[in-house]
Order: sequence, then C-alpha cells, then structure tokens
Amino acid sequence: MDLQYSDADREFRAQAREWLKTNVPVNSRPAEGFAAAQFDRDWQRKLYDHGWAGVAWPKEFGGLGLSGLRQVIWYEELARAHGPHHINTTYVAMMHAGPTVIARGTGAQKAAHLPRILSGEALWCQGFSEPNAGSDLASLKTRGVVDGDHIVVTGAKMWTTDAQYADYQELLIRTDPASERHKGLTWIICDMKTSGIDIKPVRTMMQDEHVSMVFYDDVRIPIANVVGEIGGGWSTALATLSFERGLGFIGDQLELYQRVNRAIDLAGKTRLEDGRLAIEDDGIAQRLAAIKADTIAIRSMTLADIAVTDRTGIPGPNGSMMKLMVTGTHKALSEVVGEILGWSFMEFDGDRTAHPWTYDYLWSWVFSISGGTNEIQREITADRVLGLPRSR
Amino acid sequence: MYLAPEGHEEEITGAAAAFVADAMPIDRLHSTGSSDMAPSLRQLLGEMGWFGLAVSETAGGSGLSAVEHALFFREIGRQCGPVDVLAQCLAANLATDDRLRAEIISGERGVALLVADGDNHRLIGSADSCLAVSVTPGSTRLFSLAGTPTASRPSLDPANSLRVIEALPAKLDECKGDDSWRLGQLGAAAMLVGIAEAALDLIVDYAKIRETFGRKIGSWQAVRHPCADMAVRVEAARAQLWYAATAVKEARADAAVHLDVAKHMANTGALANTDTNIQLHGGIGVTDEHNAHLLMKHALLLSRLFGSKRMLLGRLLNARLED
Repeated sequence: MDLQYSDADREFRAQAREWLKTNVPVNSRPAEGFAAAQFDRDWQRKLYDHGWAGVAWPKEFGGLGLSGLRQVIWYEELARAHGPHHINTTYVAMMHAGPTVIARGTGAQKAAHLPRILSGEALWCQGFSEPNAGSDLASLKTRGVVDGDHIVVTGAKMWTTDAQYADYQELLIRTDPASERHKGLTWIICDMKTSGIDIKPVRTMMQDEHVSMVFYDDVRIPIANVVGEIGGGWSTALATLSFERGLGFIGDQLELYQRVNRAIDLAGKTRLEDGRLAIEDDGIAQRLAAIKADTIAIRSMTLADIAVTDRTGIPGPNGSMMKLMVTGTHKALSEVVGEILGWSFMEFDGDRTAHPWTYDYLWSWVFSISGGTNEIQREITADRVLGLPRSR
Repeated sequence: MYLAPEGHEEEITGAAAAFVADAMPIDRLHSTGSSDMAPSLRQLLGEMGWFGLAVSETAGGSGLSAVEHALFFREIGRQCGPVDVLAQCLAANLATDDRLRAEIISGERGVALLVADGDNHRLIGSADSCLAVSVTPGSTRLFSLAGTPTASRPSLDPANSLRVIEALPAKLDECKGDDSWRLGQLGAAAMLVGIAEAALDLIVDYAKIRETFGRKIGSWQAVRHPCADMAVRVEAARAQLWYAATAVKEARADAAVHLDVAKHMANTGALANTDTNIQLHGGIGVTDEHNAHLLMKHALLLSRLFGSKRMLLGRLLNARLED
C-alpha cells in the first residue's frame, strides 16, 4: 500500500490547477433551461479546445488516455477552483454514451459521435426506464420493428433527464416481440430530431423540469444506429451502467468533503431559535463531525477503488456500495443543515442558486432513486459482492 | 497510490490469519478461564516475534511498519483476540531499557492496558501481567504492577477481564509524543474492522443455509438488504483503515486526522454490524453458545479504547486534511 503520487501525477495536478485558475467561467451557470445547456456546451468546448476533455478516455478516440487516478486529480482540482460541476447536461454523453460507443460501437459510429461528444457539440439523454419498467428494467416494452434498413419504434420512456436539450438518446427497446426479460432487447442511437418524438417534461418536487416523459410514435431509426447486436441490447446496457457505477460519481464523492466543511462554517455563524450558535449545540456538532468522517472515508474508498480498477482495468461491483454510502451521507448532511438554517430552510421557490441547501435536501431523494434505486444497489451488492441466494 | 494489501502484505495477512485462528480461535471463549492472554499464549506469540512486529530491527524487532501492524490486528480482531496483545505490542515499542524490551518482546513479562476512569484506573489484561501501559495522545507510560493491589470486577466481554486499581503504581518509563497512541488507535481500529468483517461473514454463511417459509433466508430482501448495508460499513471502515495505516507509515502531516476517522468508522461499523448480525440470526443469535454476542461485546470494549465516539467527533469537527 502507498499514498504516493508519481511525478507525472503531480505534474498533471500542477498543470490542471494552473489552467483552471484562469479558465473557470466567471459567470455562474444558469439554474436550468436552454441557457444552462448552452453554458455546459461552452464549458465542454473550452475543455476540448485546451486539451482537457475526456481525461480517462482512450487517446485514439480523442481523450487524454490517462488513469482513473488522474481523473480523480482532475475532479479534485476542478472542485478546488470552484469550476462547473461535471454532472450537467453533458453527463450522459460523457459518462454513458461515449464510453458505450467506445466499447461496443462500430467504426462509423465512433467517427460520427465521439468527437462531437467530447467537444460539447452533441448532448445526449438516456432512454432506458419506462412508466412500467424502472427498477425492473428488463420488463421494458417500447417496441422496435425492423422495416427494411430501419427500426420503427413505438412506446414511451420515463425519467429522461435533459431530453429537451439532447441531440441524441441512448434508447433501449424490445425488437423481438416474442422475447421476455433480458432477451430480445436492442440498444440504439436515436436522433432526437426524428419525427414522431414528443417530449413532455415532468415537474419534480424541486419545482424544476429536468426530467421528461418521451413518447415515440412510429419513429424510424436507421439499423446502422444499433450499438452491439440487434437482440443484444441488455449486454450493451450493462456496459453503459458499469461506466456510471465506476467513474460516474467521483466528482460528487470528492465534493462532499468540501460541502460538509461549508456546513460547519455555516453552523459557526448561524443562530438557532434559542440564540445559541448552531455549532454550540452538541447534537448538531456531533452529527456534522460524523458526516465529515464519512466524507473522508468516502474519499479513501474512492481512491482504493480507483487504484484497483487502474490495475485490473475492470470496474468492480463496489460502485453499488459506493452509491449507498454517498447517497446516505448526502441525505444526512442535508438534514442537519435543515436544522441549522431553521426557518430560512423553509423558504424555497425552485431557485437552486438562491436556496442551495433546500434544493439539495429535495435532490437527496433523486440521488438515492435515480441511476438504480438504493434498493436495487443493495440487491446488486447482495448478489455480486456477498453471493447470497437470488431473490428473484 | 494503491490502497489494498499487496505483495508481502498479503503474505503477512495469510500468515497472521492462520496463526491467530489456530492460537486463539474465537471458540475458545466458550470455555471458562479463557479471558485475556494466558501466559502460554503470550509465550507462543513472543516466540513467533509478533510483539516486535513494528519494533525496529536494531531494537530487537522485525522492523515492519504501521501497515503490517494493522494487518496483524485485523486478524486478531476476527478471533476476538484479547486487548493485552495490543498492550504488549505498544510496550515493546515504548520500552527504552534493552533488557526490559527484550523481556516484553519475548513474552516473558506480560503487559496489561491501563485506562483512567475518574479517580480510579482500570486494568484490562491477564492477572499475571507484571507491567501495565497507559497511552494518551500526548504521552505513554509504562508501570510496574509488582505489589499493586487490584480488585477484580465482573467483565461483560468474555475476551478480557476487568480490574480496578485505586492508586497509580510505580512508573518505569515514559515517552512523550503520540507514536504509541497512533499504533494503539490503529491496532484497535484494525481489530474492530476484523470484528465487523467476522460479523458479516457469520450472517452471510448462515443466510445461505437457513430456511424460512421454504426459502433460504438470504433470498429474502428483509435479510439481503441489511447484509448489503453491513458490506458497505466494512468497505468504508477498511478503506479508511488502509489509508490511515499508510498515512502513518509515510509520516503524512494529516495522519492523525485519518486515524481518528479510521477509529470512528471502525467503531460505528463494528457496533452496527455486530448488532445486525445478532438480529438477523433470530433466536439463536441471543444464545450463549453462539459467537454473535462475543463479537458484539468485544466491539463494545474496543470502541471505548483509543478514541471513543465523543472524543473522536470532538477532534474531527475542525480537523483539516492535506492535499
């Protein structure tokens, strides 16, 4: 075991820090809407132009071809510089679609999509979940019928984040009507401008419209857009999800430590109803310290995972345990800040810039439900880490 | 950057696991008179050189680091090994007198752990110990117990006896600084990680064979999900233990912060996992013949040593990490 960074790691950190110092956007990101998407595209373009896009993407596909550890270093420096959060409208393109196309795509798909993803020109959204297929993803019903050199899609997808802004969608459909469960599915690239697509935003309890329901009415998609085999979509989808459960949330994991320190600062200057500073309350102080310990352990878990993955080249099943740990810590932090802030925590109109802590409190449920609910993460852990008898 | 046992660290882990499982298997605690480190066990550990693991070679030890120290005590924890083993190691690292140190490393003289309790002091360790070591974050003291009257108290934890002494005995040696505290924290945290792992292993094994309503209980989500939460606690506590041990080995400036976090994660992980292990076992989990209560009781004892919850959280609130 060692905690040493190589000379090249340190050099990379110094370069990243130096570049970020003068290149982080001065204006803050608009909370939502097309302006927010444009902000994300511009930032991604800037990263691309200056050679910082796709730190862990292979070199042959335009990335820097660096280790997971360098990716961690990048996120640490990005957080230190208060740079734009990496979970934005470029997330699905950078963290799902890109890695999936790299792993399973054809030469033509790689050439058509990877440069546009890296440069922020193309935004992507996900089309896996359906109104009746969430945790039980394999029960999905959206139908694809082969018609000449096209697949004609009919059905509905649910919880599609940023569908309004996306240029493409990673769409998982059932192409064999006689099939059940994991068989007969196909992973296909859907151009969101194709006729027959209707996007209906779903308002969340945060009062925003970041997720949508997407309807497909005889949407014709070229067969050339299939990633992997027709009927082999489940395997491609598992690859997609493994990327997310590997590197997907590193930025969030590392940022939690800074967020708890901000909460401790806040407790040091916010008075409770009884006039005491919040930090003088033993209960609040103990909970903050315990959450801080969790965030430091999360950082150690992240580094331990990344180092092993860098050696083996395969993300292990630890991503599910990581998500359980991170979502739990996030929620605990939001709850204690709710007590620190007292009545002002109750002021909220959906503006996440004006009311960041209340927004985060509400978002803690999105975090523990999206990308595989915590219950599904426990199922994965029980199956793949503990080897318990299957529940289903 | 690599945070998992590798190379010779894996060899030490394997050797320690085999040795400890043979020399002090947890099942021993179902026999009377099995508490503490008996003289025969102490002699055996001494002959194998375990007490001098982290003592420099010039001082008669093996010259290994905090990392191997942690790997060894994780195995001790898995078998609910007595706290005297840790006290003996700390005394071996502290003693400046060559002859005294040699007698501690060989196991010829036994060392108990002495902890303050209000105006009194408590002794944890074998009744035949002729030495006691007391460790705080600022200093470590070694005492002679010769002629010191001790009063025995009933002990909740079968792995260790409890005794009380009213006045501090004669001091043999003292060392300022936090070197012993660090090794003590690391050893206790490692033992707690071992206990948290052992509790998880027990319930996972049982869930694969025990049936209710015609199914293995491990297929019920009411059992699977708490088991997954136990695995998360193990993962977090273990990763932090590796980080802290390596930070001590490399003398990093924020090693003390990482140790406090490691002890805290180990405290909460072991207490929660031993609790869940009993609950998920059902009725058999509360019987004396089962090992579940042994893990819980030893975790309770260790969670009070080298950083209790209140002390650790008080220190962590304003602690800062290095890059």
